[in-house]
Amino acid sequence: MNDIWTNRLSEYLDGELDSTERAALDAHLATCGACFATLGELKRVVAQAQALQDSQPDKDLWPSIRARLTPEHGSARVEVARRFTFSVPQLLAASIALVLMSGGAVGIAMHQQPSNTPAPVAARLHERGMATAASWTGTTDAAIADLQASLTQNESRLDTTTVRIVRQNLAIIDRAIAEARAALQKDPGNAYLNLHLADTMRRKVELLRRVNDIAAQS
Amino acid sequence: MVATLAAAMLALASQRQTDTTFAVPAGASLSVNNFGGGITVHAWNENRVKVHGDVGRRGRVEVSLVGSTVVVKTGSREGAPSVIDLDITVPQSMGLTLGGTYADITVEGVQGPISGETVNGEINVRGGKGIITLHSIQGSVTLADASGRIEVNSVNEAIELSHVTGEIKVETTNGDVTLTGIQSSSVDAGTINGDVVYEGTVTDGGSYSFGSHNGDISVSIPERANVTITVATANGDIDASFPLPMTNTAGKHRKTFKLGTGSARMELESFQGDIELRRPQEMRDRIEEHKHDKDHDNDNDNDHDRDRDTSFSFHFDAGAWNYAARYAKAYAPKYAKAYAPRYARTYARMYARTYKQSYRSTDTTSH
Repeated sequence: MNDIWTNRLSEYLDGELDSTERAALDAHLATCGACFATLGELKRVVAQAQALQDSQPDKDLWPSIRARLTPEHGSARVEVARRFTFSVPQLLAASIALVLMSGGAVGIAMHQQPSNTPAPVAARLHERGMATAASWTGTTDAAIADLQASLTQNESRLDTTTVRIVRQNLAIIDRAIAEARAALQKDPGNAYLNLHLADTMRRKVELLRRVNDIAAQS
Repeated sequence: MVATLAAAMLALASQRQTDTTFAVPAGASLSVNNFGGGITVHAWNENRVKVHGDVGRRGRVEVSLVGSTVVVKTGSREGAPSVIDLDITVPQSMGLTLGGTYADITVEGVQGPISGETVNGEINVRGGKGIITLHSIQGSVTLADASGRIEVNSVNEAIELSHVTGEIKVETTNGDVTLTGIQSSSVDAGTINGDVVYEGTVTDGGSYSFGSHNGDISVSIPERANVTITVATANGDIDASFPLPMTNTAGKHRKTFKLGTGSARMELESFQGDIELRRPQEMRDRIEEHKHDKDHDNDNDNDHDRDRDTSFSFHFDAGAWNYAARYAKAYAPKYAKAYAPRYARTYARMYARTYKQSYRSTDTTSH
């Protein structure tokens, strides 16, 4: 369920809500099973992330980072908008991983069928490191296959009009994915095409996740 | 604590309408779940809630107070779910959580947080403050005169936001996204099969992202905007009605332009479509023109609707099957009309490019 509190769960978990909001969300959690389940899933993801082993970089990067952080000309600290630069594979991985991790709650809603949920896929993504564009498309395809299997299993809970509309829209997304893949084959290093493909696949994951969520509540 | 409101259990078999008004504590919120029909919420300057329902012969409406939330649920006395139209009046600042399956959601004048979710239905909201999330699968979503953290989602229809202030995230799959009169430093809007139009502020330090796979993107850039614009398209053209100083070309598909100090960031990406940059007045004129065309189309639609209504026979009690049949009959002509121009335009563009390319290659080989 997407209610007004769903998007605040992360802030809740991080202790970023003020006392009034926290109390209100506590009250909401007492009555909303979907939010309670999502919160549990978020906690699990955080716990997994905290359990990851720190690995030493091949080269000590700190001196060069510090050199960049320290103003060379002794000028006062200047307030600038925070901008982060990521490589294409990092952006792709982050984008897909975020969707998959936030989709973990669907697994709980769908009759507790962990083998059909995206959560293990997210875990597998972590294990594999998600370093290259070649690896993320494969793992995202796997996640999509998992979600599609869930939908096939549960679409009888939805009315035929909704199923037809969802299929039509999945076909539209599939066509867009196919076109983006074809363009990427001709120009594999193109950052825009890589990001566009990733974003289109993310949309497919989100649509499948949302429809699975609706089926679970029906 | 669950306290059922006295005299608020409304299950009147002998009446086709229900009506109840009761006082609510300050800060109370409203939660409505209506399987099919309409949920309409108005605001007034009183600390009372009025619930009016057209329930038919079998329908029923239950109203209860759970904590500080007024909960309105609809149901059926027997058999298939009933179609019930709810008309609810609430204090202006009340937070709303409205949900349904075959429900159209309409909110007018409420100035609190709003969450609206339906599967087969339209959502039309005027007003709202704070966190506003509106989701529909098969239905258009419009939001006007709202402010706060806005998230609007559809799957198979268009999204329109007008005079909205705050952080905005909008996404649909098969429909246009039109954002007008927007005041925001953070906008993220995208569709797969549709056009994206943005007319609004470009604030220093802001972040703007507009994307489509199969449609055009038209964005207004105020004359004194300080923005770095990254434009990317695989098969479309880029056109601006003012000079664009290019600062970087990353590959043949991606170009960067800097206007003023370039402090805001704007990304415009369309795989198949064109990207247009216009001045605000130019954009407003085009939107007005488009609205005028649309109104003209709607007038024609209404004429057809009137024709249809004369032969319309529908009984709620016959259940979901009749309900679905009614919708199919009523909407089929409308969608045929809506889809025809959209697909005609897409295919015209696609074929024009194909022929242009084959013409070029023929032209090259003949020389």
